[in-house]
Amino acid sequence: MRGESGLATLETTLMITILIPLLFAVIEFGDVFQRWLAQESATVQVARYAGELGGDAPEVRALLDGSLRSSGIDPSAATVDVTPARVGWREPLTVTVRTNAMVAIPFLFSAAIPLRTSAVVRGELAR
Amino acid sequence: MSAITTIAALPLLIIVLMTTLELGSLRVVAARARSAADLAVLVAVNDQDDGELQRSGTLVAAADAADVARTVFAANLDPLAPFLAATPADVAADAAIQVEPKPATVHLRVTVPVRTPLFGALFFHPITDVAVQANGGAR
Repeated sequence: MRGESGLATLETTLMITILIPLLFAVIEFGDVFQRWLAQESATVQVARYAGELGGDAPEVRALLDGSLRSSGIDPSAATVDVTPARVGWREPLTVTVRTNAMVAIPFLFSAAIPLRTSAVVRGELAR
Repeated sequence: MSAITTIAALPLLIIVLMTTLELGSLRVVAARARSAADLAVLVAVNDQDDGELQRSGTLVAAADAADVARTVFAANLDPLAPFLAATPADVAADAAIQVEPKPATVHLRVTVPVRTPLFGALFFHPITDVAVQANGGAR
């Protein structure tokens, strides 16, 4: 009876160490994909706005901060590049946003996955 | 016994996990490709014929609107290059872009080939074609 109980405990432990990481991997990577899409959407919106304003501006940063925050991404941890900072009519403008998504899978690993999104538009402001 | 069952089923569980991740990745790439097409159409629609706008006040698509859409589409696909089975320039070159000058309207239809190596290993197609369509009009 004592031996059977020990075996059951061992089996349960084995199952937990295998199934829990698998379950968490699905949940964690699902979260990364969702975050990647949200960041992509925010980047496109901000690129459009930057194109209308003719480049980088505090309003552009504020819009990105709001979009990222509403998606559960800390804007202070994001790196944003608007290149070039000032564009003319119909000149190309690139907005790049970089963040790190933390993935923690029990018993296996914990790592930061870099997420990089960018959007290319054209300047819409005739200076 | 249940431990043996779990270990025996482990390869299956890992395949299920990897398939889930590949499917998630495919959906993200498809969404980003659609977003690239939307942006390309939007920029192309804004590419107005300035002379006509000044003369008549009507919004007429510029003569190079299709080229603009293609260029912007390729530029926005560029970050996805590692996931694609063709270069962004080739994908953009194969895009069917239809421009109606008056009223300025741009339609883009393209098939984006996405690498899905795990699906290939599971006897499916190693390349999944994602159909993308974007339409835009000036108002």
